[in-house]
Formats: sequence, C-alpha cells, structure tokens
Amino acid sequence: MSASYILKRIALIFYTLVVVSLLVFAITQILPADAAVMMLGENATADALEALRQQMGLNDPIWLQYLHWAGGVLQGDFGTSLRTGQPVGPALFSALGTSLTLAAFALVFMLLLAIPMGIIAAVRRGKFADLSVSFISYIGVSLPEFVTATLAVVLVADWWKLLPPAGYVPLTQDFWGGLERLILPVIVVSVMMIAHVSRMVRSELVDVMHTDYIRAARLKGLTPRRVLFRHGLRNALLPTITIVALDVGYLLGGVIVVEEIFSIPGIGRSLMSAIQARDLPVIQAGVMIMATTYAVVNFIADVTYAWLDKRIQYD
Amino acid sequence: MTSDNTPVLTIRDYSLAYRVPAGKIEVLKGIDLTVHRGEIVGLVGESGSGKSSLASAIMRYLPGNAEENAGEIRLGETDLRAQSQRAMADIRGRRISMVFQDPATSLNPTLRLGEQLAEVLIRHQGLSKDQAWREGEARLAHVGLKTPAEMMRRFPHEVSGGEKQRVVITTAFACNPELIIFDEPTTALDVITARQILDLFGALQAETGVASLYISHDLALLSQTARRVAVLEKGTIVEEGETAALFRAPAHPYTRALIDAVPHPEKPLVEAPVGTTAPPLVRIRDVSVHYGRKGLLDTLLRRDFQRVAGNRSITLDIQPGEVLGIVGESGSGKSTLAKAMTGLNAFEGLIEFDGRPLRGLSDMNRSYRRDVQIIFQHPDASLNPRQKISEILARPIKLYGNKDAGTTRDRIVAMLERVRLPASTIDRYPHQLSGGEKQRIAIARAFLSNPRLVICDEITSALDVSVQASVIELLMELHRETGATYVFITHDINLVRQIAHRIAVMYRGDLIEVAPASAIADPDRKPYTRELLAAVTPPASTQRAQPTLS
Amino acid sequence: MTDFLRRLFRTPQGLLGCLIVGLILLAVVAGSWVTPYGPNDMQALARYKAPSAAHWLGTDQYGRDILSRLLDGARSTVVMAVLATFIGTLGGAILGTGSAYLGGRADEFIMRTVDAVMAIPSLLLALLVVSLLGSNSANALLAIAIAFVPSMARISRSVALTVRKQDYVSAAVARGEGAAYIVLREMLPNVIAPIVVEMTIRVSFAVMLFATLSFLGLGAQPPASDWGLMVSEARQFLHRSYWILLWPSAAIALTAIGFNLLGDGLRDALNPRT
Repeated sequence: MSASYILKRIALIFYTLVVVSLLVFAITQILPADAAVMMLGENATADALEALRQQMGLNDPIWLQYLHWAGGVLQGDFGTSLRTGQPVGPALFSALGTSLTLAAFALVFMLLLAIPMGIIAAVRRGKFADLSVSFISYIGVSLPEFVTATLAVVLVADWWKLLPPAGYVPLTQDFWGGLERLILPVIVVSVMMIAHVSRMVRSELVDVMHTDYIRAARLKGLTPRRVLFRHGLRNALLPTITIVALDVGYLLGGVIVVEEIFSIPGIGRSLMSAIQARDLPVIQAGVMIMATTYAVVNFIADVTYAWLDKRIQYD
Repeated sequence: MTSDNTPVLTIRDYSLAYRVPAGKIEVLKGIDLTVHRGEIVGLVGESGSGKSSLASAIMRYLPGNAEENAGEIRLGETDLRAQSQRAMADIRGRRISMVFQDPATSLNPTLRLGEQLAEVLIRHQGLSKDQAWREGEARLAHVGLKTPAEMMRRFPHEVSGGEKQRVVITTAFACNPELIIFDEPTTALDVITARQILDLFGALQAETGVASLYISHDLALLSQTARRVAVLEKGTIVEEGETAALFRAPAHPYTRALIDAVPHPEKPLVEAPVGTTAPPLVRIRDVSVHYGRKGLLDTLLRRDFQRVAGNRSITLDIQPGEVLGIVGESGSGKSTLAKAMTGLNAFEGLIEFDGRPLRGLSDMNRSYRRDVQIIFQHPDASLNPRQKISEILARPIKLYGNKDAGTTRDRIVAMLERVRLPASTIDRYPHQLSGGEKQRIAIARAFLSNPRLVICDEITSALDVSVQASVIELLMELHRETGATYVFITHDINLVRQIAHRIAVMYRGDLIEVAPASAIADPDRKPYTRELLAAVTPPASTQRAQPTLS
Repeated sequence: MTDFLRRLFRTPQGLLGCLIVGLILLAVVAGSWVTPYGPNDMQALARYKAPSAAHWLGTDQYGRDILSRLLDGARSTVVMAVLATFIGTLGGAILGTGSAYLGGRADEFIMRTVDAVMAIPSLLLALLVVSLLGSNSANALLAIAIAFVPSMARISRSVALTVRKQDYVSAAVARGEGAAYIVLREMLPNVIAPIVVEMTIRVSFAVMLFATLSFLGLGAQPPASDWGLMVSEARQFLHRSYWILLWPSAAIALTAIGFNLLGDGLRDALNPRT
C-alpha cells in the first residue's frame, strides 16, 4: 500500500465533506424557516427582525453565508441553536458520544453473531443449518427497526418485564444499569445488519470455497480445518470489511429510529427534534457529523483492506 | 510399497456419471488405464471428453452428484475407492499430487508462496515450521529459482507466471509422491515459459522416476513428452499405445482426425505469396498506443507520470490479398494493434488504408468501417447473448447497404450456407450454438460487409483442435473466394506458419521483425524470433507416415 | 418467456416470492372491492376486538376493521413503494450508465460525488427531503426515490462498465454503429436484467423506509391507512389490544420478505450459468 493511496483516500474524505456541506446548506436554505422569526417569536417587530437578520448575516448573499458557516465549522464552531440559544457543537458532540456507544456495541454484537452464522451456513450449504440461517436472514432484512423495536418492547419489557422499556444512563455513571438499558436498542439496531452481513459472509465463503486455489489446497491433502480457516476464511472475510463499512450508513440511519423509540439522547434524536423544529444550525451540524463518521469509518475500512490484501496497490 | 511389477496407477473398467435434474450424464465409460513407475502416460482429449473428471476421480475429489460403477482405481496396492475422505487427505499431496493448468488461480492470492509450499511438508512429513521453510528454500533453489529465500516471502501476484508454476511443481514434487497428475500445466503460459516448464518437468521426472499422468489437448506436446498416449473421446478411451507407434499408424478414426488437425508448418494452406508490385493496402507508420491517464493527484503533486505503452512506433505494410500473421506472447501488443486499426483504441501516428490517410478515430468513416472487419477470440463474448442470429447478421447489411440482390433474410441464409451452418440457425440465440458454430457466426458477420481487410484476433484459441482445423479451413476458403486481406493474430506459431504469407513478430509492444513465413525459421532471424521458434514443440513427430506418391 | 418462468419457479425463493408478491398485488388491485367495511368506518361498539368471524383481523381503537384498513393501505404503501423504487432506479440508472458511457474525468467526478452523497444515511436524506417539501405521502415518495438514486447509480454504473467491455460492444463500435444503437440495442438489454433484480429487492427497502417515515410522522398523515402509520398509532393502545400492532407489522414484513425472495429468485433465474 502506497502513501499516495492513503493521501488520495484522505483527499476523498474532504471532497465528501464539501459535497455534503453544500448539499445540506442548500437544503436548509430552501427550508421554509426564518431563523430571525424563530428566535424572536411571531410577535417581534419588523425592525427588530431586520436588525437580527443583519446581525446574523441572513441578508448576505448565499455563497457568503455558506463560507461563513463553513469557516466556522472548520474551526469547530457550528453556530447556535435557534431553539435553545446554546452553541450547537458541545451538545451535539456529547450526543454523538452516546450514539457511538450504541453503534459500537451494535457493531461488535453484529459481527460476533453474523460471521459465525455466515460461516456455518456456507460450510453446511444446503443443510438444515444453512436453511435456518437463510430463514432468519430473510425475516431479519424484512423487519424495519420500528417494528422490531415495538415488538421487543412489548415482549421483553412490557410482558416479561425482563428489561427496562426505554431510557438511557451513561455507562460511566452506572455501568450495569446503562448496559441493561442498551441491550434492547443494540439488538434492534443490529438485526438488519446481522441478516445482511451473514448472507454476505455466506456467499463470499461459498464463492471462495469453489475457487481453484481451494481445490488445490484440498488436493495437497491439507486438513479441512486448515483449508477453511487458513485458505478460505481469510479471502472470504476481506471483502466483508468493506461491506460492513458501507452498512455503517445504514446503521446510522437505524440509530435515528432506535434513539427515538427508546428515548436515547443521541445524535439521531437531536436531529429528529431539530428537523421537527426546523432548527437549521442543529440540522446542518448533525448531518455533517453523521457524514463525517461514515466517511472516516469507510476510510479506515479501505485502508485496512488495502493493508491486508496486498494485491490492492491503488484505487 | 509398490513392487516393481505392480503399476503405480491401475484403473479397471471405471465409469462415472453425474446426476442432473434432466437425468444422468455419462462422463467416463469403462476406462482402463495403467501408469508404471518412471513412466509418463499422456491422456489426450478435447473439452468435454472427461479428462478432467478422470483426474478428479483418481484424486477422489468428486462432486456430490457423481455416480460411479463398480470399477477399480488403485494406487499401488491401495484401493483408492475404499478410502475415507480422511484417509484420502493423508494420501493427497503425499502419495499422489497434482499440478494445475493455471498457476495464477491455483495459488492462494493472500498467502506467501513459501507458506503454500511449506504447509505440505509440515502436513505430510511432520517438519516444524522452520525446518519446512528451510527445506522449501532448498527445493526452490533446486528448480532453478535464483533467489529462493526471497521467493518464499513473496505473494503470488509479485512473481511471474513461470515462477508461480515452478512453485506449484515444487509443491507437487515436495513429498516424493508415487504419482503426479499434470492437468494441462503449460496451457496458460507463454510459449517460451511453457518450454522452460516442460524442460523442468522432464528433468525432475527423470531424477525422481515418478509415475506421471499428463493430461493435455495438445497432441504435438504429448508426442514429445509421453511414452504412451491414451486418446479419450466422449468418456471412452478409443485408442492407447506407444506414442511413436500411435502417431505413425493411428487405428481409430478419431485419433486420425486429431492428428490431421494439428497444424503443420511444412504444409502451407495458402498459395504462394502475391507479387509485391501492387501498392500496399495498408501502410502503418509509427503507430503508438498508450494506456493510462494522468491522475489529478499526480498533477497536483507535479509527479512524473509514465503511461503504459501498448504499442511503440510500429511501422508495417500489408499487401493486398496477403495473409499476414502476427505472433507474440501475451502482453506483446498484438491485440492492441488490431484494436487501433479498428478504431477501438486511440493511437498516435499514421495508418494509410488504400492510399487514404487516417490519423485518428474520427478519420474512420463508414466505408473504412465496412472495408475493415475484426473477429474476436471469444465467440461467447462477441455475440450479444440477447440477440437472435437474424438480428446479429442483419446489422452489417443494414449498415452498409445491400449491393447484392435479395432480401436481408435471403442474404443471411446464403451467408450461413457459405460458413456451413444450416439455415435454421437464423432463428436461434447464441447460447443455443456450440463454440465452433458461434465463431462461424462471427465470421459470417464479418464477411457480410464484403470486407477488404479482415483482422482475426486469436479466433481459434478458444476452440478445440478439431474445431480449430475446420474454422481455419473455412477461413482459407473464404480467402480464396473473396481475395480479402487477412491479419491473423495468434500465439500458435505452428498454425501461423501454415496459413500466413508473412509473419510479424512482436515483443512487449515492439515490432521485432517481419519475415516471409517460409523463412521464419532461418538461422539469421533476430534472437527473440529464434528463441520463440526454439520453444515451439515441433509437430514433426506427429507427422503420420505418408504414403510416398511423388 | 415460459422458459424464464420455469427457471424462476424452480428455486424455492422464486416460487415463494412470486406467490407472496402475487398475493400482495392482488390485494392492491382487488383490495378495495372485497373489503367488508370501509377503511374509515368507525363502530363505537366494536373497538379493540380480537379476530372474529365478523372482523377477521379484529378492530382498532376507533372500531375500524383492521383487514379493511390493511387492504386499503396496501394500495398506498405498496404502490408508493414500487413507484418510489422505480423513479429512484430510473434516475440512478440514467446517472450510472451515463457516467459509465462518458468515462474519464466526468465519470470520476460523477461517481465521487455520488459516493459523497452516500455518506448521508438514506433514511436521513429522506427525512431532510420530506422536511424540505412537507410531510405527506407524495413527498415521502419523492424523498425515497431521491434517497435511492446514489446507490442505484453505483450499481448501474458497474453493470454498464462490465457490459461496455464486452466484445459484442467492441464489435458494434468497430463496424461503425451509432451511439444510440450501441446503447439501446447492444448494451441496454444486457444492463436491464441485473438492475431489475436489484430494483425488486429495493422495493422491500422502500416499503420499510416508507413505513418508517410514516412512523416518524413524516409520511402519510392520519387517518390514512398507511401501514407504518397504523403501527405508529397502535403503539399507544397496546395495553388494550396487541392485534392492532401485530397485523400491520406482519403486513410490512410479509411484503418485504416477498420482494426480497422474488429478487433473489430473479437473480438465479436470470443467471445464465445456472
């Protein structure tokens, strides 16, 4: 892997963020919301509104407003919330921490389940285990988060009273209590990815096990265990890295729904309430943070892939 | 162990079929074959003859839908069919090993070559990791790899095809097996590399005295390597015997047909070269083709950017009515030149066609497109799978107008007849035809526009020997009828010597030289040409004893 | 055609998918004629009823017949999802194949930008578009279509590039065919099959995305019988009857499974190697 490959990938992150920021800024500019009215209320005088618009730079040409905003973002200043009057950055970053905790647990949980499921299905192809995994996958990819979440809350929390139905406690404050409240959200947000990733692992491994080099390894008399783990799995799991990274986009979307249902004060919930309240600076910042997370995760995945698979020299 | 008079491999009355939804497909019928110690037995057959299935059956590596009869497969005294998969895993790699066709796909791309060699020694000889690694280095040195220690640490994509195949062969010989099955081990390699691998095989075989079953479609090659040859046709061994005797007097018609289909440079299929008084049909002047594009990052960093050269300043004349052969190994730029001439690649330099200069793709007008036709290597890829033959063959007629009388359909049927396909072919889809039939459709498509120059890009490489012979026969017939000029691109030197008036030799993007086909083997040729010709297996030994008439 | 159907029915996925999707389409087409009650007919005396002979799937908090509402909702939910997928696929296919056709720097620019847009989760993108245009079904449709464009563009481009490299396209170029013929007659028929497969699978995503938007209050608005909205409303009345929640959830899942299975079945049936 060459330094120029890494450089190129980093340049791509910046390009991604520029495109996303332009898009988000454009969308929020067209949104039918007047920031001045939102801050001063419906009854403010025309003069007061005009003065505030002047002060906030709302009368500047759009490109100047964009540069102002982008310049602020680069310095870590995301502006102030129209609703609360507080700076957007600190609140959102603490919410991001909460969301990332949820996402990280979900990712680990998903990998721990999906990879073995995929391997078993591939090895026992056409047998009962394979069909079971297939069946579970079809159900899994067909249940939207809000349905799984609702069903899970009804069953586990309302009827069996095994776990609390909603709420969030930071792990630093009360580790076990926080963990207990994370269990349902983590399961709900991983279901779809478990189904998707286990199917991917299965099909990749099935393809790899049909290659010439696996036949060659078997015909060298290697043990089935070595053929599977040393020769097969390595090649089958490599592309999974990229697939999982792309699924992170889906995971972040799922986080929005799950945080809403389980009342978790994460970035998804902040975004939802900002969208409902048309709190433009929060929307802009929230989308930028999500896109950055996605871009960085994919960067790490691509570089890892290139590092593990020596054949990839450049894009 | 095997005593001297017991064959290493004994196959008795062995049959194999595959169960499919539609019934049963018989792939091997009543096979009898023995291989003794120190012996090389050749197994020749075309695609679908069952030769690879036989190798799988010996290795006990059959798919789940395989159905075998009561026949016998023995390795020495061991009944292979009675072995469990676990016991077979012990035998594979230790007592029987295998060398595969394409080293690029039979080596694991993400493991170091050393590991792939050492793991066999660890598995079967109980060596420790370090011992196996050192032993591996010693073996690689033994097969003529100059930097074995370095080679061990490399990944497959970091070494050449020949080096990869050396590693595969070393692995096969690693545990001193009793039997090695070679499944077309040189087919995926370039001529010169293939010769080196064959020489290596010969040396190792002589040194170890291992029994070898050598599977190939290449009769000329087997006539040189094998002591005995078995001819496999549709799952049955139709003839078996000492190589020399078999080639001298083949008893079975199929064997005879196969031997006759082998190209012979001494038997030219074209009439004497045309006079060079006429002005050339095509003049190629300093034509270069480059691939690659400077990236944005390179521009930003002011980095030097090296484009890959596909062709470097090629200058060549093609006479009207001649057959010009172009030979060279993969990557020599012969197809690149064909693509430049047909407007599929941007080029620099000048191509003059019939006195009209062409400096770029935009100069190639409709009449040039009509006059110059190209036929590709893989008929599977060159015929659109979702169009019927009628639509495929109607295009040139629609595009270039209808000079002859008759409807489009009549002309298509007439052309099908010329390429010896039944008229009913017109309503079929490509996937309903065989490989040879598809290539005939591609030929028909080219000739429907009454071209003056036909470029054949490896058009017989994907075909079986006997099919290849009939396609060549058809091409030569069309050549006589239409007088069209041919550019015939191939890596098969025996074939090109047989059908070309002149031969152009290319190497890594450069045109090395152009020589008359009759003089290509002269000793004063350029060194690369001599090397290339020396690497070709001379088909002379496959020559049947001809009744001397004259 | 019959050959194709035989191949499709040969796999369990294809057979089951056809069956489920066929049933759903039947509900969409004939649903409003066979419903025993109007979707918004309230019966004050028959609220929160469990399934019975009179109300096969029970009634909801206003005493509305759930089966009637589901059948009525099938039209909006499924038709909207199919339409949104179709529009998104069309947009993505034009962008992707166009990019592949242009090649070079234009291609790189378009695809890098598409990649960049994919950094916004599609649910979030849909949410933004809906909040921009206003919350109703038509805007939700557009939002989902837009959210599908980037990924469909990616897929179409890679398919188009594969086809572009085939020798039959080279042969057409070499014999001097016009761009229109090459794109429409040589490339398109070979590009369409994999895109249709992808589109079928996408419909299940669209159904779920649609339901999610409605659930979040940004899609269909009450008293519409949109399935996602039904789940959202049912959550408040869980302690009275869980049937209100169960049926629309099952309907969403069944539709998604059906299109998923059909897509996989089509993929196998269209694959010439099998």
